[in-house]
Amino acid sequence: MKLRAVRQALLLIALACLPAIGQAIYFRDKVSWQSPIPPSELVGVDQARAWGDSAIWVDARPDEEFARDHVPGAFSLNEDRWNELLPQFLPNWSPEKKVVVYCSAESCNAARDVAKRLRDEAQLKNVFVLQGGWEEWLKSRK
Amino acid sequence: MAQVAQMKIFWPVFAAVLAAAAVIALVSSKRFTDNTKVGWRIVDVILGGIFIYAGAIKALDPIQFANDIDNYKTLPWFISVRLAFYLPWLEIFCGLALVFRFLYRGGLSILTALILIFVGATIAAKARGLDITCGCFGHASKNWSFTQHIALDLLLLAALLALYISNRAPQCEDL
Repeated sequence: MKLRAVRQALLLIALACLPAIGQAIYFRDKVSWQSPIPPSELVGVDQARAWGDSAIWVDARPDEEFARDHVPGAFSLNEDRWNELLPQFLPNWSPEKKVVVYCSAESCNAARDVAKRLRDEAQLKNVFVLQGGWEEWLKSRK
Repeated sequence: MAQVAQMKIFWPVFAAVLAAAAVIALVSSKRFTDNTKVGWRIVDVILGGIFIYAGAIKALDPIQFANDIDNYKTLPWFISVRLAFYLPWLEIFCGLALVFRFLYRGGLSILTALILIFVGATIAAKARGLDITCGCFGHASKNWSFTQHIALDLLLLAALLALYISNRAPQCEDL
């Protein structure tokens, strides 16, 4: 009976591969397979600094961390107070500017989520996520 | 916009397919006259329906599901994204196995294993202080608390184990 269950489970596992592969082929150009953020949406600290005044910095970390320290001139825009902070940020944006979003470190998701919402909800273009986040910025400052 | 339209079409079709599956499964049951067995068949159909629903809603937005898996910080992205394309279909097929009693024991075993993995991953994430959305039912579960998430998982696990035990008798052989 156990052997039958194993055989059936293996068959189901194999069957599920078929639509999954089909869907993955359909989405192949829409998904970033190696990193959660496609390389075209990432920017390094040096590159972002080189943009100078044409870049707007967005701090996606919680309020307390922003209050402690942040990139000079950065706007605080986190998901906890999205509805309150977005209207304060938008007047500072213009189409020719590049938006650089950062959170604490490489492993945090806040910058990715805020960047996605800026693109999807606020319809902004040229939104980038800072590679390595605040940690990387601190290293480059030393 | 296209996604909204897709969702509008999805729900009536999904409800119709599930209702049809439930009727076919119940009517085609060989033990339809046995009240106890009918009771278990209803549990089969409800449980199968829940997993088909959970799988379908995730299969509609695999990229969001990949992000949900990634939030657990357990697997590297390249595995999370591949799992996001595969797991929803595995849930759908296993749900169908319960509804139609086809490859039944295999489906039951896989779903039990999946639920155990989900419970383990959720507890581990909570222990590490991660504030995550479980992603089990797509956007419908976005605001669920840890307690609600665990309670549903344990309820599903209990139902799956009950089905396992109720189907151990030799007369309950399936395909």
